Amino acid sequence: MVLEKLDFSEARKGFIEITPLAVGVGFYGLAFGLLAAQAGLSSLEVGFMGTFVFAGSAQIVAVERLMAGAGAAAAIIAGLALNLRLLLITASVSNVFSQRPLWQLVLGLHLTTDENWAMMLARQKRGGASGYWYLVGGGLALLLIWLVSTVAGVVVATSIPSPKALGLDFAFTAAFIAIARSLWRGPKDLLPWLCVVSVVVLGLYSGALSETWVLIIAALAGTTVAGVRR
Amino acid sequence: MSETWLVIVGLAGLTFLIRFCGWALGQRLPQTGFWARFLSALPGCLIVALVALFTVKGESAELIAGGIAVIVALLTRSLPATMAIGIVAIWALRTYA
Repeated sequence: MVLEKLDFSEARKGFIEITPLAVGVGFYGLAFGLLAAQAGLSSLEVGFMGTFVFAGSAQIVAVERLMAGAGAAAAIIAGLALNLRLLLITASVSNVFSQRPLWQLVLGLHLTTDENWAMMLARQKRGGASGYWYLVGGGLALLLIWLVSTVAGVVVATSIPSPKALGLDFAFTAAFIAIARSLWRGPKDLLPWLCVVSVVVLGLYSGALSETWVLIIAALAGTTVAGVRR
Repeated sequence: MSETWLVIVGLAGLTFLIRFCGWALGQRLPQTGFWARFLSALPGCLIVALVALFTVKGESAELIAGGIAVIVALLTRSLPATMAIGIVAIWALRTYA
């Protein structure tokens, strides 16, 4: 099957085009490495965690909980709560992985993160290929920078400028704004998207739910509106 | 096993399980009607939810810089340009405003 072959040029495109986002990820990696070193993690533990968990915000929260003495179970649950959005992410692109050998399914799913997922969607919208190798190429670039920057953060473990001081925390917001623009499918998206924004605003100001649940409920509310309308 | 390794291995295994279950769920939903429209709207809605969360939970600087980034995205449709101008805007707002 042709699909199963490695499409090197797609993978390379994915690897290169994610660079602006990878720079932002690198700064978070340094910050995470610093936190992990303070929590007593070794370079080996941080490298292993980055490679096999590969979910930045969940790693940060889990290590923070561990450092707070909350215990292993609480640390895992806190990290998993943040990762629930990955359920929606892989569900939304499940066709990209269908009819692939098991190793490609496992590799692709593991390498799927917010950043390369969003980049792949934008590429598909521009009429690019199926997207699997683009996704994997972007995922490998992110894994590499995450690994290098987190371990560097542990080793250096001194004064690293905080991402926020440099405005880099906004890098992801700006990137997702550009990607949302390319995902706009026309007027039929208006009502679902307005619904999403309204639920986020209401959810945050009510203060009744954590950010993760606000995010998931808002996305589901918007997609339900889109599903009901013909 | 130390507590740290327990967290690393547990979080790694269960995070992969979440990624796998999302895929399995997407495969099992019908490809027509409500669920097809639901799934095809999911990427856009999730991205918009992320953007809304990042900007609304921030201060006025995040909202203003978000507005500037939306304008740049509409005008240029360029990812690097939107990121570059967005970062400069948030940095300037936090430093000088």
